[in-house]
Amino acid sequence: MLGFLGPNGAGKTTAMRTIFGLVTPDSGEVTWDGKPITTDRKRRFGYMPEQRGLYPKMKAHDQLTYLGRLRGMETKEAAASADRWLERFGLAERRMDRVEVLSHGNQQRVQLAAALVHDPELLVLDEPFSGLDPIATETMADILREETANGKAVVFSSHQLDLVEDICEDVAIINAGQIVVEGNVRKLKDAAPIRHLELELDGEVDDLFQSLEGVRQITSDDHAHTAIIDAGTDVRGFLSRAQEMGRLRHFTYTTPSLSDLFREAVR
Amino acid sequence: MSGLRTMWQIALREIREHGRSKSFLITTAITFLLVAGLVVVPGLIGGGTSEYTVGTVGQGNEPIVAAAEQLGNAADEPNAEPSISIQTEPFEDRATAESALVEGDIDAVLIDGEDVIVESVGGFGESSLVALLQQGAASVELEAIVSEQGQAAADVIEVMTSDPLGITTLTGQEAGDETRGGVAYAGLLLLYMAVLLYGNWMLSGVTEEKSNRVVEVLLSSVKPWQLLGGKIIGIGSLGIAQFAGTILVALLAVNLTGAIDLPSLNAALVANLVLWFVLGFLLFAVLYGAAGSLVSRMEDAQNVAFPLSMVAVAGFFVSIAALSDPDGPAAVIGTFIPFTAPFVVPVRAALGAIPAWQYVLAVIITLASIVGLVLVAGRIYAGGLLRFGTRVKLREAWRSAGT
Repeated sequence: MLGFLGPNGAGKTTAMRTIFGLVTPDSGEVTWDGKPITTDRKRRFGYMPEQRGLYPKMKAHDQLTYLGRLRGMETKEAAASADRWLERFGLAERRMDRVEVLSHGNQQRVQLAAALVHDPELLVLDEPFSGLDPIATETMADILREETANGKAVVFSSHQLDLVEDICEDVAIINAGQIVVEGNVRKLKDAAPIRHLELELDGEVDDLFQSLEGVRQITSDDHAHTAIIDAGTDVRGFLSRAQEMGRLRHFTYTTPSLSDLFREAVR
Repeated sequence: MSGLRTMWQIALREIREHGRSKSFLITTAITFLLVAGLVVVPGLIGGGTSEYTVGTVGQGNEPIVAAAEQLGNAADEPNAEPSISIQTEPFEDRATAESALVEGDIDAVLIDGEDVIVESVGGFGESSLVALLQQGAASVELEAIVSEQGQAAADVIEVMTSDPLGITTLTGQEAGDETRGGVAYAGLLLLYMAVLLYGNWMLSGVTEEKSNRVVEVLLSSVKPWQLLGGKIIGIGSLGIAQFAGTILVALLAVNLTGAIDLPSLNAALVANLVLWFVLGFLLFAVLYGAAGSLVSRMEDAQNVAFPLSMVAVAGFFVSIAALSDPDGPAAVIGTFIPFTAPFVVPVRAALGAIPAWQYVLAVIITLASIVGLVLVAGRIYAGGLLRFGTRVKLREAWRSAGT
């Protein structure tokens, strides 16, 4: 599962469209298994565009069956798969409802089902989590995890970096059309030149941070302080000094979060 | 799955979803009712008997009136209600008859079988009555002459109501072409309405897919030409079904009411109309489809389609001109322009006023144009579909599908 990240306008949607030949690249080529993508291959991909699009007047079940048929399934097979996915998303009773009468969240579920109905080997999802409540987000994340476990490749874009950090093994961050960071999330974090430091302490800390080397950024909120520091900095001395200065309630020293990496990368 | 099967899937969806939509069912019902009404109502109004009363003064009037009535009804179907009925009302003298005429109690006065008095000449009803009375008087006179030679009076009536002269026209038309012209006109009107109606279905269908963004999902697995082709086939079949249904309803209404004579429809005439219906629909459907791909909102769709509708209107007017002058320059030029040919050629063909080579050439030109337009419009369609927001310029759409 690959999280595809980047600030607004970086080219995420364009890159995803390019996979499906919806945009013709000025240069370069999109390949899958080392080969250019043919129309038949494309039918084994599933796509959820950022701008949701379904026929509003078509029934959910009919819609999914139709899309399954378009991608080469037989009618029975497509209908069965449509029902299976509607059930998986808890929409079994609404299968004969027109899409336009469904709530926003349910429409989004149908939209994801539309990308999944033909059992694709690659799922490309443009912001699948936007606009979902935490519970729906969790269901969607579970389904994506399951699909990955079943051997499918999943690429999705999102601005919810905590979520991406939680469910993706790999990320790619692009900025202005170029990939600036890519790789395994854990390795990227380990290899990052910065560390994340958090502490909560009663009393003045100004002098304390001045004694610390390689501080890149400090944000303070009352007694809670967050700092980004160089990875090479030894914090053991800092910790003992902090303990001397007052009551230390909380102290963490970790690899940077994905949000930290993202901010560093696109700065 | 082959490209054609994909196209068929798309066509099936159009037929299924469009065919059971309320708007389709309602417009179909309204069209059927309207057509049935158009056939039945004039029959009800136009049918029935025209009644006249003729005042008579003096002798020798009755045979003339009887002959006039007989002549007026000579063209009626057997056992049908007579077209006209003429009553007589005797008057003492000319003066009282004239005052009754002024009062409007009677429609004309016959005097001694020699003179006819009417209030004025030029009134529609009076002149046909006068014409009948004239013919009646003539036939009475003829009767008198032929009966001296041993001929029966009935023979005179028969001779007078038959068309003893065969008609040959310099344009090569045959007798009966008036009804064929009528059929051509009705067919033309239907064709014109069908092109506009089903063209607009194409337009709104394409724009709708763009406005609700489903097109991005579709194009991730099908090619633009499959989408365009499937839509044309789907809407085309639905259109042809509705079109055929409308004609069937019209024929049925004609048959049931007997309001008008069934025109002498022959297979060639029907085949001619159907061929040009298909060609005309294809031509305009491709254009409307391309136009629809340029806009994202229904409100804009009518604007981009306006020039196309104007082309159809122009074709319609040229073919109206062709109806009255099927060999005129407008008709001939219109035959070879693909956008007017679907309207002009069937009319000329129905009137028997088009040389075979022109007909064949027109079909070839139109077919070739359809192929050419599919390529051009298909590219515009492909380029326009994924550009959302404001109206896409033709050139941009052409370029963005360029590679």
